[in-house]
Amino acid sequence: MEENVKIIGFACSYCAYKASEMAGSLRLKYPEGVTIIQVPCSSRVDPALIIKALLEGADGVFVAGCHPGECHFIKGNYFTRRRIYALKEMLDIFSMKGKLRLFWISASEARKFVEKIKEMHKHLRESKR
Amino acid sequence: MKGKKIEKKGLIEALRRFLKDDFSLVLAFVKKDGFFRTRIFRRELEDISLVNPVFHMNTSVILRRIFTQDLKMIAILRPCETRAYVELKKLAQIESHIICGSVDCFGTVPSRIEPLSFPEEVRELKEVLDKSEDLRNACRACSFKSGKYGDFGIRFDSKFNWWFVPYTEMGKALSNLIDGEESELPEELKKGEEGKRLNFKSSLDELRSDLERCVMCLNCRDMCPVCYCVDCLFNKEEYVPKGDALMNLALSSEGIEVPKGKEIYHMIRMYHVSQTCVGCGGCEEACPQNVPLLKYFKGVSDRISGVFNYVPGRSFDEKIPYTTFEEDELSDAED
Repeated sequence: MEENVKIIGFACSYCAYKASEMAGSLRLKYPEGVTIIQVPCSSRVDPALIIKALLEGADGVFVAGCHPGECHFIKGNYFTRRRIYALKEMLDIFSMKGKLRLFWISASEARKFVEKIKEMHKHLRESKR
Repeated sequence: MKGKKIEKKGLIEALRRFLKDDFSLVLAFVKKDGFFRTRIFRRELEDISLVNPVFHMNTSVILRRIFTQDLKMIAILRPCETRAYVELKKLAQIESHIICGSVDCFGTVPSRIEPLSFPEEVRELKEVLDKSEDLRNACRACSFKSGKYGDFGIRFDSKFNWWFVPYTEMGKALSNLIDGEESELPEELKKGEEGKRLNFKSSLDELRSDLERCVMCLNCRDMCPVCYCVDCLFNKEEYVPKGDALMNLALSSEGIEVPKGKEIYHMIRMYHVSQTCVGCGGCEEACPQNVPLLKYFKGVSDRISGVFNYVPGRSFDEKIPYTTFEEDELSDAED
C-alpha cells in the first residue's frame, strides 16, 4: 500500500509559486500529499513555522525561492539562505536534517520544480518505511 | 593596549566621583549579611563587591528593561552578562547611555545554596571556586571567563593585581575619573580566552525525555537575556494552544498530551537565540523543574554560530549573522 507522506512547501509567489502554476498548465504531475503555501518572499518563512510543521506531523518541509541575486525584493533570499542553512545545522543535531530542503526555482522552471518534489517525496517515503 | 593598575578603593572613589552628578546611576553587586545582591546606586555608593560568585540571574535582563531617559549609567557585571549586553546593544535593545564592563570571573555557584561564605581575597576565592563541587554546569563549560568584553574590563593578571582596561570611548571616559597613570598591560591580559566550540549531537528522543518534566511556565524565556521580543510567539495561541484551540485540538484527534508543544517551544527558542546565546545558564537557573536546558542551548548555539564563525559578545563591530549576508557564500545551501 502506498504510504502517506505529508510535505509542506513554502513557495515564493514571484517564482516557485508561479512555477507550480506553470506545472499545472503543462499537466505535469507531482505526488499527492504536497501542500504548497504561497508566501510573499522566501524570507517570510520564519524557521518557527518549519519547526512547528515538522513536529506536528509533516514528514518533510521545503522552502522554494528565487535564485540568489534574482529576488523580487533585491536581497530577501540571501537571508533565507543563511537562515535555512543554520536551521539545517540545528536539525542535524536532532537527526532530522533530511526533512528540510531548500530549492532555488525560477518562474519558468516548472519541470525542475516537479522533479525536485518527486525526488524529495521518494526519499522521504523510503526513509519512512 | 593600555590600562591602569588600580586598587579596589581607587575604583570606588572614581565611581563616587561619577555619582556626584545627580543624574548618574551605578549598577553593581553588593554583599550584605552574607548574601550577594544586585543594586542600582544613586548619589551614594556602599562597598560594592566586584567579583560575585553567586549567580541568580543574568543582570542584562535588567539593563534591557530599564528606561534611563538620558541618565548615565555604569554597570559592572560578569563576562557572560557583559556579552549579553553587547549583543543587546547591537540589537538596539539597550540604550546608548548605559555603559557596561566585565570583571574577570572564576565561575559561579547557584543561588539556591546561599548563604555560603566566600573569602574576600581574590586569590583565595579563585582557589575555593576551582575546587568547588557546586559550580554551575554553565560555568564548567564556559570558556569566556576572562576576555575583552563590553566597554571596559576589570582584569586580574597572574599575580592578582587589578587592572582597569578601557575598550571603547565610553570606557575611556570612566578611565579618566580614576587616579593613576596608564601603563602597558601585561602579556597575559592582551589576548582574551579563545572560546571552544562543542560538536554537540543529540536526538529528538533524548530531548523528549529531558523535557518530560517541563511545565511550560516560560520562565526560561523570561530570564533569557537575549530573548526579548515583546510580541513573543508563545504569548499567542498558535504555538501554545488554550481555550477553544486546545479543546478543538483534543476533539480533532485521539486525545493529546498536555501541556502541549514543549518540544516546539524549546526548539524554536533554541533557533531564535542560536546566534546570540551567551551560554550563561540563566534559563537553567530559572527552571523550577531542573530541566537540563543549557546543554541544548549552548550546543545548538555553538554549532550554528560556528557555521558563520561568530562569537556572541565578542565585539560591537561584528554583525549578527542573521542580520547580514554575503552574496557569494554557502554554495551548498540548495538541495
